[in-house]
Order: sequence, then structure tokens, then C-alpha cells
Amino acid sequence: MVELRAEGLVHIYRTGDVRALDAVDIVIEAGERVALIGQNGSGKTTLVRHLNGLLRPTEGRVLLDGTDAKSHTVAQLASRVGLVFQDPDRQIFAGSVRAEVEFGPRNLGRSGRALRSAVADALTATGLAGEEATNPYDLGQSRRKLLALASVLAMRTPVLVLDEPTTGQDARGIERVQGVVEAAAGEGRTVIAISHDMRFVAETFERVIVMRAGRIILDGSSAEAFAASSWEALRSTYLQPTLAAEVGDRLGLGSTPTDAALIESLRAG
Amino acid sequence: MTLTLQGVGYRYVGADQPSLLGIDLELHDGEVVGVVGASEAGKTTLCLVASGLAPRTVGGRIRGSILLDGENVDAWPMHRLSGRIGMGFQNPSTQLSQVAGTVFEEVAFGPMNFGLPRDDVVARTWQALHALRIDDLAERDPQRLSGGQQQLVAMAGLLALRPAHLVLDEPTAQLDPAGTRLVADAIAALAADGASILVAEQKTDLLAEVTARVVVLDNGRVALAGLAGEVLADPRLTQLGVSPPSAVRLRRAAEAAGIDPARLRG
Amino acid sequence: MARRERLTDSSLKRRGVPESVGHPGPSAYHRLNPLTKGTLATVTAIAAVVLGGLIGPALLVLVAVIAPATVAGVLVRLIRTALLLALPIAISAFLVNLFFFPDGVTVLVRLGPITATAEGLAFALEILARIVAISGAVTLFYLTTPPADLVVDLERRGVSPRIGFVANASVQTVPAMVERAVQITAAQRARGLDTEGSLWRRVRGIVPIVGPVILGSIAEVEERTMALEARGFTRPGRRTLLWSPPDSAFQSALRWGLLVALLALIVARMTGVWA
Repeated sequence: MVELRAEGLVHIYRTGDVRALDAVDIVIEAGERVALIGQNGSGKTTLVRHLNGLLRPTEGRVLLDGTDAKSHTVAQLASRVGLVFQDPDRQIFAGSVRAEVEFGPRNLGRSGRALRSAVADALTATGLAGEEATNPYDLGQSRRKLLALASVLAMRTPVLVLDEPTTGQDARGIERVQGVVEAAAGEGRTVIAISHDMRFVAETFERVIVMRAGRIILDGSSAEAFAASSWEALRSTYLQPTLAAEVGDRLGLGSTPTDAALIESLRAG
Repeated sequence: MTLTLQGVGYRYVGADQPSLLGIDLELHDGEVVGVVGASEAGKTTLCLVASGLAPRTVGGRIRGSILLDGENVDAWPMHRLSGRIGMGFQNPSTQLSQVAGTVFEEVAFGPMNFGLPRDDVVARTWQALHALRIDDLAERDPQRLSGGQQQLVAMAGLLALRPAHLVLDEPTAQLDPAGTRLVADAIAALAADGASILVAEQKTDLLAEVTARVVVLDNGRVALAGLAGEVLADPRLTQLGVSPPSAVRLRRAAEAAGIDPARLRG
Repeated sequence: MARRERLTDSSLKRRGVPESVGHPGPSAYHRLNPLTKGTLATVTAIAAVVLGGLIGPALLVLVAVIAPATVAGVLVRLIRTALLLALPIAISAFLVNLFFFPDGVTVLVRLGPITATAEGLAFALEILARIVAISGAVTLFYLTTPPADLVVDLERRGVSPRIGFVANASVQTVPAMVERAVQITAAQRARGLDTEGSLWRRVRGIVPIVGPVILGSIAEVEERTMALEARGFTRPGRRTLLWSPPDSAFQSALRWGLLVALLALIVARMTGVWA
């Protein structure tokens, strides 16, 4: 299991002089479930792309279990950090679901029984068991997104990074994603998700990091992030607290990020 | 002008199952009607059929009738329909014509295509920009705007044709919260102006804000239809794969735990 | 739609077309009609080829390229861009003719097996002059005429808007496809696709990238087509244009005059009146 660390991370894209990341320091322990939130341009995507080497720091460094990411290629880092992109159509290329899901683990050198079981598990977790021979473009948009998730899940990386896993998903799709996150965390894997779905964030992640203009403006537990004292920070980056949090605050019950937390407080109080 | 779908069914080219079956739907002047359903329930197909793009541009086979004020429009070519029904899509940037250097020219694209007198084109363009409160974007480059802004420009481009109805297919699906807010506010403003809109969305919170009636699709059929408040609070919504609005969910969670929902109001 | 009619809203009516739309060029030369500028460029290029010797093309360059470029204020950019455009061809054409001119007799310098001749040099210079004239003329047109101007002008003269549209859209497709390819490459690398390894590995990696690029581009074209149809693009008949580059009788006469002069030049050369 892998500990992730960024130290003084700065990233300036070649095209401009904007600091997409402005001296970011962060430590994510193995097995944490972290939500990374903030509006477009806040640096969330830039940050996660440093974790698997797609982007390299302009200044500062990124460490995986104490080793500098700089000394590994992206292909090598892919065995430790699996990144699922937001748009499945910018990834899916195979003619069948099975071939698509096999791609990742094959690149990592898996074969034979290990490969088959990794693929089968990933398909079951994403509700795609039985669709092995289906052409990905015969699946709907929502299930294709789950396919993209499955194809990274099958790589069995200790760290899983999801970029907007719930956009374009219907209710059942979101439940599936939540199930995947919980199962992965249960196996001790680290899960990091970029999301602007505040309910999904509140219900699924224990730690919330809010970014704005390349900096981290809030880093705390879910309860801290949804407490009334944090709302101004959230709103400054165009995010809203959940309804449960708002109601809980109005009723003087403290921080209640989720419906369940609110109900618990009402029952106790 | 009323848009009526009577017993409408539709099958895509090469599909072995129809995507829509027996759809009965009416959209009156000044109404905002929401369409919800699980993925693949037929929301996009319904939008394409209502706007005429299916079967005209997309191909496929259609059954039943589509009427505008009682007149059957089956024989109308696409360019005639596009003056009456405007359709907006999910992806903000693919709706741009790419030949307009400014938002003004982008919005004027439709009226220009219809060969209207120049003064009319200019007046309609400003009206459309004004209706969406984006007058100040007139001289900007459309390709450099945010997703939310681009969706507004796309909607203005449709409005400039003074359609009787606007059909929007998940306009906020690809937008961030700021963009979603922009579009939701725009739809509310248009509704207040008396616009007639059919909007498909997953975000039931948004629909609760802006729609008067809601239709729930399940596997290509209408499963539920009625006033927005009632349909969105219907217990069957979850089984149909739709997430109810936050307030409804919270209330239900309270009831399930034996807590009086009135306590939520504090 | 049952909306409040705003046509009577006088403030909206008073607004004309915004300034940025069809903004006139910064110089008198820029403001010439695109067809005029195009005719000038074409006539210059052809005349440079037809005229023999060095003096002819040199004069052409002075009068038809350098002078207008100075008026338009683009002289420096023109020299830089035209050089960039012409350099590869110019160098190879010059060297080939210098060393391998078939009728070369007078030896200038000997470099091992190959010989530079005076006749070769003379011919090479003539070729160079023509290349300079052509690239100068084309570059001048390119620098002073936004593509949209040309497209709109042609449409006003009756060319189908679809042609201009296709040309424009094709140009825009390339950066879009490149951007898509970049994104897809990143996604596949994140799944372990090795783009930093051996050449063979990198070649194998093309399929997972090319597939989605093509499929995605096709899907995007489908969506764009629907959106255009939804806005009446396929409607038969003329479109209204918000603006078009101005033209004048004088410019029209000038264009015809240039064409006639070119024709006369060609005839003169062909019939040997002017050696």
C-alpha cells in the first residue's frame, strides 16, 4: 500500500505563466478516501496528473512511499496509481468489453488466471458481468463510463484516482460507483475522487480537500468541510453545501453532511 | 402553439428494439415540462423525436404522429421544423458553428440561414441575447467561453429563430456547478417570460425549481406523468432509476427513521 | 412562443451590429476587397513565372509585394513569413541549378565531383527571383486577408455558403483532433501504455490512440451536423449576411485590368514579341 506525498508542488503549464499549482503540500496515507473538490481551473486535475507522472512538477516533488515519482515512467507508475478519466470515449478503443478491460492489466504484465480473475472481478464490481463480448459502443453512455472504471479497477492498483466519476451517471450508476469506492477502501486501497457532486462527496468520502486557484483552501474531515464555518470557502469556489448540512445547521445540530448524519442527530437530540 | 406527440414510437437504424413506445405528450405554450428517467430510458431519443431530428437527420423509423397545433408535421423537412422547434444538446462546444468570430455572429447564424432581412436578423439577435441576459458577451469569441456560457450562447442561437418550443437534452450534464447554476437561472428566466420548454435532465433538484410538469420514462415508455411536485415526490421514482430531489429524499429518510418531517423545518 | 414581444423596445432596436463584427482592416491595403487582393497575388505570381530574367520579377516584387506591404504595415512580418515559406524550396532549387545546370560551361568552382557554373548561377538566380515573387505575393495576401473575409465575400458573389463552411470547419478540425489525440494518449498511458520505451512498443501503442481519435471525431461530426440542421443550415436559398467586405467599381476595373495585362504579357511572351 502506498503513501502519497506532494512537497512544495508547483506546476506552470508551458503555454502560460499561470501557476496551475501554487506550492501544494499534501500527504495521503494508504487506505484513505479523499474527495478533491473545487471549480474548473482550481488545479484538481493538474494535481492528480502528477500522481501518475502524466505531469511533472515545475518545482517541488511528488513522492510515492518515499520514492520520487521523477525516477519512474508513467507506464511504471501506472502499476501503483490507476487514473480513470472523465470521458470514457477518450479511452475506449477495443471491440469488446473484455478486450477493453484486459488492456490495462496486460500492460502491467498480468496473464493467465491472474488476468482472467482481475477482469472478472472488475466486471462484477461495475455491474458489467455477462457483457464480455459486447461492443462498448452498444453500451449506453452511463455503462461505458462504468466500463472505463472497470478497465482501471482490473489493474488492481493500490491507489485509485477517479476524475468526475458521477457526471453523466444515473442513480444506479452512482450507487455502483459508491460500491466500488467502498469495496476498494475495504481492501486497503487509497481512493481519490475529483467531484462536484456534493452529495456523492458527503456520502462516500471521509476527507475533503477544497482547492481554488492552485492552492488548497481547506483540508479536513467531511464533517469539517460541510460545517457552516466552511461554507464561505465552499461558495468562493462555486460549491454549495448539501441540503442536509444546511438543515442541520439551521436546526442547531452542528455539522451534518449527509441525510443519515442529520437523521442521527435528530434522533439523538 | 401546442406540440403533441400521439402514440409515438421510434426505432433507431439497425436497432432490434424500439427506443420509444406509445408516447403521448403535450407541450403547451408557456409550459416547462421535465423529462427524467434512468440512462437509456429514452430521454435523448424523445428530445430528438420531438424536435424532428429523428427521423429526418438521424434516420430510423417513427410511428404515431407529431402535431403542431393539430397539424401533422411528418412531411415537413428539417429546415421548416427548425424554425418552430429548437433543440439544444448536452455538449456545449459542438453546438457552436465554428464560423463565428463573435457571440453576436454565432447567435445570428440561425436567422441568417433563414434569409431574413438584415434588420430583423440584428433585432432578433439582440432580443435573444437579452432574453438570456448575455448582452455583454456579444463581442466575445464563443470558443473561449466557459461551458456554461457556451450553453447559454447555444440557447440564444436557438431563441433567435423564435421557435414555438425549445427542447433541451440534459443541458447541464457536462457543466460544473457554476455552469449548471447559469443554465438553471436562464431556464427560469425564459419560463418567467412565457417560454415553452421540454427539458430532459438527471438533476431532479433543478427540475423541481423550473418545471411545472414532469414525465418519467422507463424503457422507452411513459411510466409516470403529472405535476412536477407530485411526480418528483412519487415513491416509485427510485425504482425507476431516478434520484428524487434532495428535499424529498431527506423527508423520506426522516419518515423511515420514525421522525416527524415537520421537525426538519425547525 | 408566448413571450413579451420586445420589437418595440427602442433601446434594443437602436443597437446595431457590434463593432467587432466585420471590423475593417487597419490600413488602406487591408481594406481592399479580398478578391482584389487575391487577383493581385495571383497575377503577380503568374507574371513572375512568365517574365524572364531577373529585372522583371525584381520589379514585380518591388511594386506588387514590397510597396503594398509597406502601406499595410506588414513588411517585417512578410519578409519573415515569406522567407520561412520559401526557404526550403529556394535553397534546394538554387543548389540544384547552380551545380547541375545542363548547359553549364563556364566553371566557377569545383567541389569534388560536382561543378558550379556561371550559367547555372544565372539560371539559379532567375529561379530564386521567381520563388521570392510567388511566396511574397501569396504571403501578402495571407497576411492582409482574414479567411472569414474571403469566405463571406465569395458568398455574397453567389458561392454556396457550404463551401466556405467546409473549408473553415476542415481547418478547425485539425487542432481539435490533435487535442483529442493528446487526451487519449494520456488516458492510455495511465493504463500502462508505454510511450517512452522502445520504438516497437511505441508503434504498437498507436492503435489504442488512433481508434478513439477517429471514432470520437466521427461522433463529433454527427453531433455538429445535428446542431447545424437544428439551426436551418440546410435550408435552400440565400442566407442574409450581416456584413461583407466593401467593393467598388474602381476595384472591379482594376481586377479586370490586371487580368488583361497578364493575358497580354503571356501572349507577348508566347509570340516572341518580348523575348
